[in-house]
Amino acid sequence: MHYLPYAVLFSGFAWMVLIVNGRRRMLTLTLAGFMVVTLVVIPPQAEAQGPEGIIHAIQAVLKVLNSLILPVVNSIHGTRSANSTFYQTSVWPVPSINQSTSLVLQMIGQYRNLMSGILNINLRSATLPAPQSMESLIRDHQVNNFGGLTQSFNSTYRTIPAPTDANQADRDMSDFDDALTLDSLKTLKASDSATDLELQAADSIESAAGQAVPGSTPFLTATATSSSIRSQALTQKMLAAELRQEAARIAHQNGLRKRGAMFTTQLRGFIMNLSQHN
Amino acid sequence: MTSISAALKRSNSWVWSRRLRIILLFVVLVLTAPWPARGQALSPCCAILAAGLSSIANSLKTIASSLNAILGVDQGMLRFEQTVVWPTGAITQAQALVGSQQGIFTRIQALIHIPVNSATQPNPQQLEMTLLSRNPGLIPQTSSNYTALYGPVPTTTDASPQVRDLVDMTDAAAQDAMKRAIQIDALSDLEIQAASQINQSIQTAAPGSAPIIEAQADAWLVRANAYTQAATADLMRLRAIDLANSSADIKMGATNTTNLRQQLMNLLQHN
Repeated sequence: MHYLPYAVLFSGFAWMVLIVNGRRRMLTLTLAGFMVVTLVVIPPQAEAQGPEGIIHAIQAVLKVLNSLILPVVNSIHGTRSANSTFYQTSVWPVPSINQSTSLVLQMIGQYRNLMSGILNINLRSATLPAPQSMESLIRDHQVNNFGGLTQSFNSTYRTIPAPTDANQADRDMSDFDDALTLDSLKTLKASDSATDLELQAADSIESAAGQAVPGSTPFLTATATSSSIRSQALTQKMLAAELRQEAARIAHQNGLRKRGAMFTTQLRGFIMNLSQHN
Repeated sequence: MTSISAALKRSNSWVWSRRLRIILLFVVLVLTAPWPARGQALSPCCAILAAGLSSIANSLKTIASSLNAILGVDQGMLRFEQTVVWPTGAITQAQALVGSQQGIFTRIQALIHIPVNSATQPNPQQLEMTLLSRNPGLIPQTSSNYTALYGPVPTTTDASPQVRDLVDMTDAAAQDAMKRAIQIDALSDLEIQAASQINQSIQTAAPGSAPIIEAQADAWLVRANAYTQAATADLMRLRAIDLANSSADIKMGATNTTNLRQQLMNLLQHN
């Protein structure tokens, strides 16, 4: 790159040196030309690196490799090995996982049939035909025989009095008492059936836990929790039925109290009329 | 020929007359001409460089061996995680179980929506319909349905203030409980709906995201417990009012007995 400008400049310089007149001018021109060519055209000479420079550079690279990179890589290896050992021996040790699944299976064997047997013990205690029928219906966990339950209830507790036998207020209260009793009994039949399904769900979740691995367990716990929410909702349905029933019971007592007050007033009126007539 | 030799003579004469200048130009040329850089092919640097590179290569081999060991550990860990911690087969099996739970959800939802109403007379039917409606919008009409069935609080001419207070409080507790029952029914419907949604989302979750859904389900469980407690609280209030009524009956009986005794004494004194 420097040859062309050098040749041009040097040619010009040579031409001027050869044609200039006078020694002083020539000397001045020579010095000026020398300076221009030296400063402008000739690049500064690169200093060659001696063998010592290369050795230093290689030593520096080796120092970086051996004292910085290699210890870090060894440290990463150590950490990962420790991490792997930690996970395999402390977090997810295979023997412990196997022990847990074995415990689940052992508990299934120990408790499932036992508890199912306890729950299924026959509790029926009625001795007469109508109560026996009703008892059987209220404990059968079926939801397709509500008509039969109403019939059986009426056979056991009889129907509400006829309009000729009782006033409308009494008939209404009796009808509502019966209605809420039947509502609760029907709700309980549905709840019993739902309880069976819940037990079935609990059994299947427990069986799955017996074959679970740590990674699949969150699915089981999540579905168990959502089943718990459902179970709470069913408990609330039963509580709501109980609230209605209890409310009707004290409302009934209160109704009697109101009617007592009314009868007292009527009685007082009769007595006053009677005393006035006498 | 003559002209050439004459020209040569003139040239020599011109060069000779400018010999000093030509020497000067030659010196300047020698001093300033750019010379090509020398190659290092035969330099001793190459040997040093080769030895250095060899040392670097050895160090790199050591590092590669360490990296290889790290790779081995990572592969072992990956194998462990894929076969022991998160085996795809077991995860698919768990997701299938969640799917089967969804079937149970559907059956339970159908069970709790079976109609259970049983009243036969108009007033009881109306109150029963409101109570079993699971519709919070019908809560305000509970009181009128209740009064239609159980009657209003006795008037001041029909009962003493004490009896009227007792009757009103008992009616209030009964109506509150009935209204709470409607609330709880509506809330439990929503809980079952939410539980079903949660269960559906578990089916499509990954092992890493399932705990997030589990946390949400836990939060819902806490909420459900709170609703159960609210319902239990109303049940306890009802029973407390019932107990208070029993106590009030004794108190009123005592007062009535005292009044009766006083009136009898007055009657005897008049006679």
